[in-house]
Amino acid sequence: MTSVLHIDASLTTPEIHFDLEKAHFSIKGSSYPENSLKFYQPVVQYLADLVNTHTPDPAKTFILDVELQYFNTSTAKVLLDILRYFEQLYEKGQPVKVRWLYLEDDTEMEDAGLDYQTAVKLPFELVALHEEA
Amino acid sequence: MNVSYEHRTLFRYEGPLDMQLLPQIVKSAEQLLIGEKVRTPLRRKIISILIELAQNVIHYGIHNHPLANPTISLTRGGDDIVLSISNPIHVSQELFLRTYIENLLSMSKDEQNALYQNVLTKSDYTDSGGAGLGILQVLIKSDNFSYKIEPLGQEHAYFTITATFHTNNS
Repeated sequence: MTSVLHIDASLTTPEIHFDLEKAHFSIKGSSYPENSLKFYQPVVQYLADLVNTHTPDPAKTFILDVELQYFNTSTAKVLLDILRYFEQLYEKGQPVKVRWLYLEDDTEMEDAGLDYQTAVKLPFELVALHEEA
Repeated sequence: MNVSYEHRTLFRYEGPLDMQLLPQIVKSAEQLLIGEKVRTPLRRKIISILIELAQNVIHYGIHNHPLANPTISLTRGGDDIVLSISNPIHVSQELFLRTYIENLLSMSKDEQNALYQNVLTKSDYTDSGGAGLGILQVLIKSDNFSYKIEPLGQEHAYFTITATFHTNNS
């Protein structure tokens, strides 16, 4: 499988940057595509392949950074699917950490992160970001 | 003459709605809410709901109706921001919508939240949407919710959802 998956951001979709070599996976921006399943299909395929082929490396921690401004409910469900793939990797022995990044006063996004934290069995950190001056 | 600024239209769009236009509407509404000094959490809550409802219109509404277009409006009334979205629907959708919304309205906030979590974690979803989560999200996040379905000719109806948000809660 390819090591890097990159999808540029658009007005309605986030930047996706998954880099297996660097053990860093990032979803950043707004996510309200017309068809979330279609948009996230390459991401889901990448993760399905990763789950099937990856040999756990305890020396590396996979970091998944999720930093979203807006996301619609169909994205909400796909996000859970994405987290479930990382959960499978974690269950197979691959160290994984999810960092849910949100602006410090954005309680909406903080609450969404708390919901996901409850829904999956993964090391899950909520990180409040300070707005740039 | 006294002029009241208590009820002001901040934003109003009437016309065809699609995914090319939606980001521009989102950007305009966001800028107007920043201008109104609506704090970030509430602003993002309102915009999230605007996106959700507008996408419902795009996915499920009747397009190119000769008598009525989708309408999106944001109004300031004292400490409240009122978001209202209307669109033509087919009369066959009316019973489903009424039953679905009345069922949600009969639930407590806790029950609505539990249902949201249940649908999010257990249900399938369609290509276009999130398994009916949109309207449920509006109910959970808004401070007041109302809807109306008005006749629009023989085969259609005009469906309006109005969500109110208290700025002094944020």
